[in-house]
Amino acid sequence: MIKDYGSDKKMSTKIKPYEKPENIINPNSEFSIEVQNLRKVFRGKKGYDDVIAVEDVSFKVKPGELFGFLGPNGAGKTTTINMLIGLEKPTSGTAIVNGYDVYDGLSHIKELIGVCPQEPSVFKFLTGIENIELFGKLHLMKKAEITDKTNKLLEILDLSKASRRKTKGYSGGMLRQLNMIISLIHDPKIAFLDEPTVGMDPRARRGTWEFIGSLKTKNKTIFLTTHYIEEAEVLCDRVAIIDYGKLIEIGAPQDLIKKYEVKNLEEVFMKITGRKIMEGV
Amino acid sequence: MNTQRILALLKMELYKIIREPAYLFLMLLFPAVLTITFGFAFGDPELGMSFNFMAPGLFSYACIFIIMTVAQSFADFREQGLLKRLNTTPMSSTDFMASNILSNMILSMLQVVIVYVLALLFGFNSNSDIVGILFAFLLMALFSLSSVGLGLITASISKSAGTATGLSFIFILPQMFFGTFIPITSTTRVIAVFLPSYYATDALTSIFGGANLLSANILIDFAFIAIFSIVIVILGILIFKKYGNK
Repeated sequence: MIKDYGSDKKMSTKIKPYEKPENIINPNSEFSIEVQNLRKVFRGKKGYDDVIAVEDVSFKVKPGELFGFLGPNGAGKTTTINMLIGLEKPTSGTAIVNGYDVYDGLSHIKELIGVCPQEPSVFKFLTGIENIELFGKLHLMKKAEITDKTNKLLEILDLSKASRRKTKGYSGGMLRQLNMIISLIHDPKIAFLDEPTVGMDPRARRGTWEFIGSLKTKNKTIFLTTHYIEEAEVLCDRVAIIDYGKLIEIGAPQDLIKKYEVKNLEEVFMKITGRKIMEGV
Repeated sequence: MNTQRILALLKMELYKIIREPAYLFLMLLFPAVLTITFGFAFGDPELGMSFNFMAPGLFSYACIFIIMTVAQSFADFREQGLLKRLNTTPMSSTDFMASNILSNMILSMLQVVIVYVLALLFGFNSNSDIVGILFAFLLMALFSLSSVGLGLITASISKSAGTATGLSFIFILPQMFFGTFIPITSTTRVIAVFLPSYYATDALTSIFGGANLLSANILIDFAFIAIFSIVIVILGILIFKKYGNK
């Protein structure tokens, strides 16, 4: 268990600084995401020990791949995403998105990515359409282009009727749908979807799965975090299983099921950790 | 800095004021209520106080309240994860700050118009010509910059929107007591000279009193307001970027 904080405190003072990769800008990179020995330690406040949220995580995601990051709540999934999108600075290791280093190339990365945060973050005093329009304009889209894409996405995600209402009155499921539309309005090359279906009813969840699946046909790279086993099995080309900040397994869902001679990914997780994913940390 | 992004954010900021009753009250109705209340309470010559004397302080007082709305707004956006979300877009922090400064300057102008019109209704006599009045508006826009800066500092040290409201009074009260409509004595002046509202009220008193806009008194006040405002807003942006944007 990582909560071996006593030794972490000593260790964290010796953490190597973030290593800048030599090829910080490589637009022809073979991978959409390259992560090497990525580590994140949150310094403990006075009297508290440090917490290692992500520990020496390494993986690569190919363009057009739907890559799942599977693990229980608190396993380090969101911290990993936050480091890849520039919201958290890695403590050590390297992280490259579409050939750009997350330290020096963040402004380039932000133009290429779409981020769907775990908690729906929308302006409550704006309508659904106004929210989408605002984020479209921040990505320098033209008004006609925004309208066209908004209409399509609203229809696909069944949100057209509510789109002209202020989001203050939206249900949790509707906010999640809008959250996703905002992250995809500018047609990003790489989409980071952090637990996009948490709190959705089964029907809405299925609809969202279909939609996420359809993005694959558009050759988009999708980095999806989830703690829903079925979601990972249905959608992902490959999954990385993370627990207590460490990457414990990586591969195609069917390959992992075959390797561990079990029925599903839940059992894979159980076989490795002795716990169920939904039990949490 | 990108104009399309700034305009999109500015539109959002203005919608917030119009559609959120609390902000609408604080930004537009509060200055009106304040002027009417003070007009009735102190406009009576029997009290020995002159509304003409108090009016310039009311203009400054209205602009000081921007501190609270800016602090609340930023803390609120942070609580709701909106700052993080905006940070994942290509928008720069300069775009975001510029839109905020612009929206607050526009609002301070509206506040000045509201207070001015209501003050006239209560018999306020301005000896200034149209150029003087326009100059007074410019001064208030500049003064509102310092309030935006102090609002950002308040948001940075506040953990929630509720705390931000309370903490904003650290900056509101001294400016209110030592630089608006409350008479300054030789003792309170020692504190007042360190507050931008003192110079704003002093300049407005001179302008509405019909003084020459190029008089030393007004120019010195203008210089102090400019220096205070620019330094405070830069400080506010830097502190917010380091501590408040998380």
